[in-house]
Amino acid sequence: MNDVAVSVENVSKRFRLYHERNSSLKSAVMRGKKSVHEDFWALRDVSFEVPHGSTFGLIGKNGSGKSTLLKCLAKILYPEHGSITANGKQASLLEVGSGFHPELSGRENVFLNGSILGMSRKEVARKFDDIVSFAGVGHFIDQPVKNYSSGMYVRLGFSVAVSVSPDILVVDEVLAVGDATFRKRCEGKFKEMQQEGRTIILVSHSMGMVQSMCDQVAWLDGGELKQVGGAKEVIAAYNQTV
Amino acid sequence: MTYLNELASSRELLANLVAREVKGKYRRTLFGQLWSLINPLALMLIYTLVYSFIFKAKIEIGDPSGLNIYPLWLMCALLPWTFFTAVVNGGMSSIVANGSLVKKVYFPRIVLPVSAMGSVGFTWLLEMLVLAVALLVFGANIWVWIPLTVVFMVLLAMFAVGLSMVLAVVNVHFRDMQHLVGILLRLWMYLTPIIYPISLVEDAVTPETAWLVDLYHLNPMEHFAVAFRNLLYDNRMPAGTDVLWCVISAFGMLAIGFWVFAKNEKKLAELL
Repeated sequence: MNDVAVSVENVSKRFRLYHERNSSLKSAVMRGKKSVHEDFWALRDVSFEVPHGSTFGLIGKNGSGKSTLLKCLAKILYPEHGSITANGKQASLLEVGSGFHPELSGRENVFLNGSILGMSRKEVARKFDDIVSFAGVGHFIDQPVKNYSSGMYVRLGFSVAVSVSPDILVVDEVLAVGDATFRKRCEGKFKEMQQEGRTIILVSHSMGMVQSMCDQVAWLDGGELKQVGGAKEVIAAYNQTV
Repeated sequence: MTYLNELASSRELLANLVAREVKGKYRRTLFGQLWSLINPLALMLIYTLVYSFIFKAKIEIGDPSGLNIYPLWLMCALLPWTFFTAVVNGGMSSIVANGSLVKKVYFPRIVLPVSAMGSVGFTWLLEMLVLAVALLVFGANIWVWIPLTVVFMVLLAMFAVGLSMVLAVVNVHFRDMQHLVGILLRLWMYLTPIIYPISLVEDAVTPETAWLVDLYHLNPMEHFAVAFRNLLYDNRMPAGTDVLWCVISAFGMLAIGFWVFAKNEKKLAELL
């Protein structure tokens, strides 16, 4: 068993900022094929390794490339240079409840969302009761999700996502949602996952949470890796710049 | 090859997305799934009124079935056509419509156009069943032709989904596509002998314009329309050239669609 869960090697991601973009056929034909753009490197030569079974935090200011990196990890964006290798089953939680159909009931949406996240029907059926009780939506489970309160919606989405029980979980700032009770339950769930030896990669602006949960932290600034290492030192260094 | 494996492993996702579309579409409607039958029925009444009663379009009598009923003759080709347009439209907009999903979750993107085809196909299956019952009631002997009809339905689905994959990618780049395609499809329909028989065109051309008929035969949908009519209305084997055209265009279009889609799939999330 390799002790590296995810290795990020020299990853660079470019976005094109279009000044005059050919987003309609008319403009493409009128101007010819040329569109005027400027390159913007959201990530520049970022490398680090996430050890197996650790909880890894990504911190940095807004626009520092955290989410872009997370999306690359989740295989939604593909880097221009470099590579990302993950050893193990990976699930990502960038937004909760994505793919919910408002007219369908909570129950139908749990199965739908479960399969979007890569679970089989049997697996969802087996975990169904846990998912519902964790979300705490009770008898609302057979109501269309458009009638849910925003908290219920998010809780249901979150409990489906964590029930995937991946080897590697990639989480964007989703814990900021839900009330205090639910947040506590989520933290409990993460602790449980840590004890099971799963790898968690998360983005957060809440330094308190990062400090309490993460073993290692990477600090991104302007698309470049500023520092990577033990949670305490990196957070201390980051806090000095704020 | 890994790509195909991935697609095979997302069978359940595909099934669930199809179910989502089918179930979600007619939620909170009084007639529910019946709406999917009312729509073709209305089309049938309109075209029958205009072309059969007003324009007096004459049709070929079913050979050897002996049927001479315009609405049935029409539906044998119109139902495949409406399926085709619905797949092309649905598949083309599937990526843009599911943009929030594409930007947030990783899954093989190709399930989106394929699931659009699946949900439309489900409705089509119901329509074809009703048509089959009507044909039986009016004395067509379609029993032996049902398996072959199913084969042609699969071929048409392949052709349609292949085209929709190409258009889905183009539509992400140029949103004009969905508007343009709407017009082109309407044009295409009138250039395909669906509401009128091809004999009308053959009668209309002079020796100098005989190439127009050859041009007509370059349209794969013409061959599909003829094949479906042969099987369901005439109750006979379609001609070899029609079969060949259908098979080649189905496999060819699917291969092109697959290739284009696989090549562009990774860029989709960024472009949305």
